[in-house]
Amino acid sequence: MVTPTILLLSRVVSAVGILVHISLASSFLGTIALALLFEFRYLRGGDVDYMKLSRKFAVISTIIFGVGAAYGTLVEFGLVTVWSNFIALIGALALPFFLELFAFLFEVVVLPLYLYTWNKVKNGWVHFGIGLAAGFGGFWSAYNILAVMASLSMLPPGLEIVSLASVKSSIGGAITYLLEWQKPSDLFNMYWWGANVFIFHGIFAAVILSWSIVAGVYIRRYLRENDQMHLKFLKNTSLTIAFLTLIEGLVIGHYQGELVIQFDPLKLAALEGFFWSGLKVDPLISFVATGTFNHPFWGLFSWPSALRPPFYVTYAYIVMMVGFGIVLGILTAGIGIYLLFGGRLASFKLGWLNALGPYLLKVGQYLIPVSAAIASIGGALSAESGRFPLIFVSSVPNSAGPPTVTGIPVSAILNIDLSMPYWLAALLLIVELSIPFVAIYGIYLYSRRSGGDAQ
Amino acid sequence: MIGSATLAADLITWAFDVHIPLVYTVLGLLWTMPFVEMKGVKSGNTEYFRLTRSMFNYMIVVYAMGGVFGTIITVFLAGLMPVFTNLAGYMLWPVWALAIVAGVLITIPMIGLYYRTFERWSHRRHIALGLIIAVSATIIPAMFRLVFAYTAYPFGTSVIPDSSSAIGFDLAVNVYTAFENPLYLPLFLSTVFASIAFTGIMMLFGYTLSSNSSHSGLGREIGSRLALVFGPLYAVTAAWYLFEVYLHSPTIAWSLFGRPPSNLNSVLYAVYRPVYNLSWDPYAVAILAAVELAVILYLTRHTNRAIAWISAIAGIAMVDLAEGGNLLAHLPYAVVPPQSLAVQLIHQYGITFAITVAKTLQVSTLATVLDYLSIIVNQMPLLLIFSVAMFLFFNVLVLGVIYLALQWRSTK
Repeated sequence: MVTPTILLLSRVVSAVGILVHISLASSFLGTIALALLFEFRYLRGGDVDYMKLSRKFAVISTIIFGVGAAYGTLVEFGLVTVWSNFIALIGALALPFFLELFAFLFEVVVLPLYLYTWNKVKNGWVHFGIGLAAGFGGFWSAYNILAVMASLSMLPPGLEIVSLASVKSSIGGAITYLLEWQKPSDLFNMYWWGANVFIFHGIFAAVILSWSIVAGVYIRRYLRENDQMHLKFLKNTSLTIAFLTLIEGLVIGHYQGELVIQFDPLKLAALEGFFWSGLKVDPLISFVATGTFNHPFWGLFSWPSALRPPFYVTYAYIVMMVGFGIVLGILTAGIGIYLLFGGRLASFKLGWLNALGPYLLKVGQYLIPVSAAIASIGGALSAESGRFPLIFVSSVPNSAGPPTVTGIPVSAILNIDLSMPYWLAALLLIVELSIPFVAIYGIYLYSRRSGGDAQ
Repeated sequence: MIGSATLAADLITWAFDVHIPLVYTVLGLLWTMPFVEMKGVKSGNTEYFRLTRSMFNYMIVVYAMGGVFGTIITVFLAGLMPVFTNLAGYMLWPVWALAIVAGVLITIPMIGLYYRTFERWSHRRHIALGLIIAVSATIIPAMFRLVFAYTAYPFGTSVIPDSSSAIGFDLAVNVYTAFENPLYLPLFLSTVFASIAFTGIMMLFGYTLSSNSSHSGLGREIGSRLALVFGPLYAVTAAWYLFEVYLHSPTIAWSLFGRPPSNLNSVLYAVYRPVYNLSWDPYAVAILAAVELAVILYLTRHTNRAIAWISAIAGIAMVDLAEGGNLLAHLPYAVVPPQSLAVQLIHQYGITFAITVAKTLQVSTLATVLDYLSIIVNQMPLLLIFSVAMFLFFNVLVLGVIYLALQWRSTK
């Protein structure tokens, strides 16, 4: 029997688990990308510092991958045991899961090869190619899993919800919803335009988050040791993070917003804080979304309370994601410009940035990783809690009122036999939050053994 | 034209056949390492400690690979037989939960601790930790084997007609009763014994190939002893399992023995007829076991790399044939309905209802209900060819990486 308490505890336990897994997966994507970036620079210029950085991030990415893969198994079994009625829906989503397997194989088989063949393959570009294959595995894996996550927020074209519940039927007394494609070839709509916007939003966020965390650590070490290797790292990454944040916010974010307006106006109302009933003009959002100042939007209270997402998503979106995203962009742009063009800033009448630079570094060592983490968590909460209480969301126009928002209730995919006492939820949370420390500890041991540099 | 049931069975069997030898090795090594270290303490010979370390290094690589293929099996199950996996997840959730708590949450961090405490903790404490890890890792097969026993003989299940159910009935399982399944204990014990015996074979193989290391002689000796002691124990418990299968799981028994079991009512032959006649499979396993025994006895006296390769190949083939045969013998069923249940359903609800239940439990039903993947595969054969080529490529790569890991560790 699904009670509100069991549903809430299951959601909290699952959300924390998935967030931690996403953090580990993001860190893998970011660190393998760093390893490849620096190996490329080493091969092009022969700078040994880049080789050391590359090797270091290759090892770190492998440690993170190991812990992340184990954590993925935990999340997977969490799905089977806690959200078991979601599994029946996976049949319709089989293609991305099937293709993800190849990506996973790439990662698990090629990543050790990449590590093993350091200094053993005479042609450095061949080794770089092996690394590219390992990196491709990681990004392809993310691409497919994010395609599935995108379908939860926006029902892909051609996918239809079969509600057994609406005719008081079920399969085996447990499964009350199924998914069906209008025709088999529609299966490829898992990768439709909207899904790709969602996917690249996620992949950019992963790289921004992980690079920001590493940048924080490297700024700190640069301030302490004032050495060339840390400076080279920061020169390569700071402005790149700022650029990626800009693309994420202004380009991909814009398309994402358009999709939310089209597919889930209820989510839009919750995210933007449209705390009214009926249609009302919001000039700012109207301008951003349509280029005019007089477009009306349905307020959150136009829909019944049982359908509305939790109120905290407004805060998660505006303050956490957008606010801290802007802070991150400004900080990394400032630091990047200061480090790259410090000596020449005065000639561009930007001499004041030279005075500000050291202060930005001092603040940035803490604020860059913290801003990235808060923005990422805010983004995840906005995307996933913003569609609650539904998954596979879509909306249809309604001449008599606000668009009708439909989907599968989250409560319908919960295991109806599950028991989730408070102590079990607390225990699971403790374990979920402590496992990432295995990765952190592993990286710490490696860094200590190698004296901070890969030997 | 490839049917969804064939696609599902083939893909799952492939992943299973790669997964099983790897996890057998992990389980066997986890049980062996503490005792090797204990032997070192008792004898005062430090070579035992070096041997333990080299076994651990190999175990880590195999654990990672085995874990990946375990994930692949779950994805195949969820993607190809979603309703089956869904119902299995919901009915047996405490079993899955316990397996994952033991397998991931407890075992993995403790393996990290075990690695960090080599030669830092006293041997007594380190050995105790090793034994705790072995026990927690054994909970994984202890739970998963319950699911296997359940699919062969769904003990503790009640079928309740439900007109509102799209399949015409509801299923309910008493998880505690499910542990009393007569197939469960022999299956679990044979798994543990087989894994230790198989590990012995792999140790004999590995340390024969790397015969230049100082502890390779010890590794060969321990490996051959493990295989010679636990191999016969596996044979006994496997025979016990087959006996219980003969009594309780008509389709599997028919498939593996080549004829219907004597206790099966001939009226039900049409219901329980298997897809494959695998009567050659137990014979093949027995012949391979005999070859393996001869090879092990030879290797206890001689160091011969070619013979060691034969030992490894025969060992892997034996494990895969035994496990793969057991899996494929279920077909056409995903869950083989017990004869007693069939008779009871016929008496209580009539033959039509009993046939509905039996049909629902077949792989073809469970695989086709929602299986868009097989439709796509049939429309785009290139996808299938590409997939097969990729899987073969990765099989070779997996072996290559394990070989490199062995080489790496032995030269370090």
